[in-house]
Amino acid sequence: MRNVFRSRVVGAALVSLALVAGACSSGDDATDGPTITVGSTNFGEQLILGEIYASVLEANGYSVERKFNLGTREVVNPALKSGEIDLLAEYTGTLLTFEGGTPSTDSDQTWSDLQNAIGDDGLVALAYSPAQDKNGFVVTAATAQELGLAAVSDLAQYNGQLVLGGPPECPDREFCLIGLQEVYGLDFAGFTPLDTGGPLTVAALEGGEIDVALLFTSDGVIAAKGFVLLEDDRNLQPAENIVPVTTEEIMDAYGEDLRDLLDEVSAAITTAELSELNKRYGLDAEDPEDLAREWLVSKGFIEE
Amino acid sequence: MIEFFGDLARWFADNWDGTAGYLNRTWEHVQVSGLAVVVASAIGVPLGAWLGHTGKGGLAVVSVVNIGRALPSFGIVALALPITIRIADRVPFIDSGLGFLPTFIALLALALPPIFTNTFAGVRNVSRDTVEAARGMGVTERRILVDVELPIASPVVLAGIRTSAVQVVATATLGALVGYGGLGRYIIDGFAVQDDLQIVAGALLVAVLSVATELGFGALQRRIVPPPLRRGTSLRRRALRRLQPSARTPA
Repeated sequence: MRNVFRSRVVGAALVSLALVAGACSSGDDATDGPTITVGSTNFGEQLILGEIYASVLEANGYSVERKFNLGTREVVNPALKSGEIDLLAEYTGTLLTFEGGTPSTDSDQTWSDLQNAIGDDGLVALAYSPAQDKNGFVVTAATAQELGLAAVSDLAQYNGQLVLGGPPECPDREFCLIGLQEVYGLDFAGFTPLDTGGPLTVAALEGGEIDVALLFTSDGVIAAKGFVLLEDDRNLQPAENIVPVTTEEIMDAYGEDLRDLLDEVSAAITTAELSELNKRYGLDAEDPEDLAREWLVSKGFIEE
Repeated sequence: MIEFFGDLARWFADNWDGTAGYLNRTWEHVQVSGLAVVVASAIGVPLGAWLGHTGKGGLAVVSVVNIGRALPSFGIVALALPITIRIADRVPFIDSGLGFLPTFIALLALALPPIFTNTFAGVRNVSRDTVEAARGMGVTERRILVDVELPIASPVVLAGIRTSAVQVVATATLGALVGYGGLGRYIIDGFAVQDDLQIVAGALLVAVLSVATELGFGALQRRIVPPPLRRGTSLRRRALRRLQPSARTPA
């Protein structure tokens, strides 16, 4: 009887110890508050950016959950508004269009319009980064030379002859097929649905399956493969600065400290650096976690 | 909910024509599935039948063929892609390394195992007595296979082709991931823009096509399989039925 009693006391003591130990947060400055769920859409750059923001938050004591590779904007946007994710790296121009606004090539203007547009949904756009990533229409060096292509408007001479390749949603997008048809008056012989500026599109372009590919301007693959990025001479693509978007709840919970931290990180990202990271992810098959960590260490946000 | 069905009905009314219409997409779907099953049968039935007849090397071949069953079709499509893109440049009659070719390869790998395995097992399981009797009558090996074993094994062989066809039709939706058309296009494109209507319509079409394939092969089976071998009919009963009426009816 006494032995049973003693073992029960020991058991209870151990359980309480475990509970107390669990309640104490690890890390130097434990930040109390809701877990920040960082989300991303479905292409490489988004994974890298998501990892950058998630890692820097974790390093500063925030509790972070990752939900990456969720799908296209039609999936992540509702997720952000419903609170399923709390932080997402977005692009000023396209998001503004998605929210019903009209962007321009002016970064400041587009950003402030975006803030107004998403305010009603309880979302907050933090400071935008100098890094931009726009839709880019790309041909191989051989095609550019053969057909004399330097700008997107040059494609009009070959209406009805060339095949465009891009993500399946391209025919529904203003900055993709719709814009090419309306702003540039282009008429393609066909559209081949592939992936979102990823290896399938690159392989198809290299292999001659498509003539023009939609890739992203911050993708280092373009330079690495010697592709030619056609100049957007009629300014179809608006300013597309990278901007972390979060919810009012998160801002209320954490306030200016969080904002300052994320703003500092965003300010440090440049298009050139992002291109290099994208290229290493896309061509050299490096992990987004490693790439993000390396970048954060090089900028002094994390110690290693 | 009712509204959704209304929208769905309207979708079916509006989207039947053109390259992106479901008549064309169904035809594309049938093309790649049909070719995969036909080629798989052309390879699997002779190979399975011959190996089943001779009884040699069966295990080794069955193992190799079953790799097609083990490898996920999605994986095969992705693996085939760099190869097909390169081939498309060299080989004259192949237009594109995207779309049809990698899908066909993945579906062929999926279609082959049931057809081969069923044919092999069906021929192996033909009663040895029957085969010996035929041999005793002086029938050549080849004719034993073609005139005796295959007809007797036909229900099993056809069941294999039927299973294979239904699986292939259901899996051909993968083609949409590598730029092919087919009914998978509705599911992939619908998902990209979160158009639930398109996704449901596409899924419904695939389901209907799969069921139609199953029923179609059922009908084919009824035509091809020799009457005495059809399920539920014993040879004896049929033979008895052919007897004089007077021998059957009671006095």
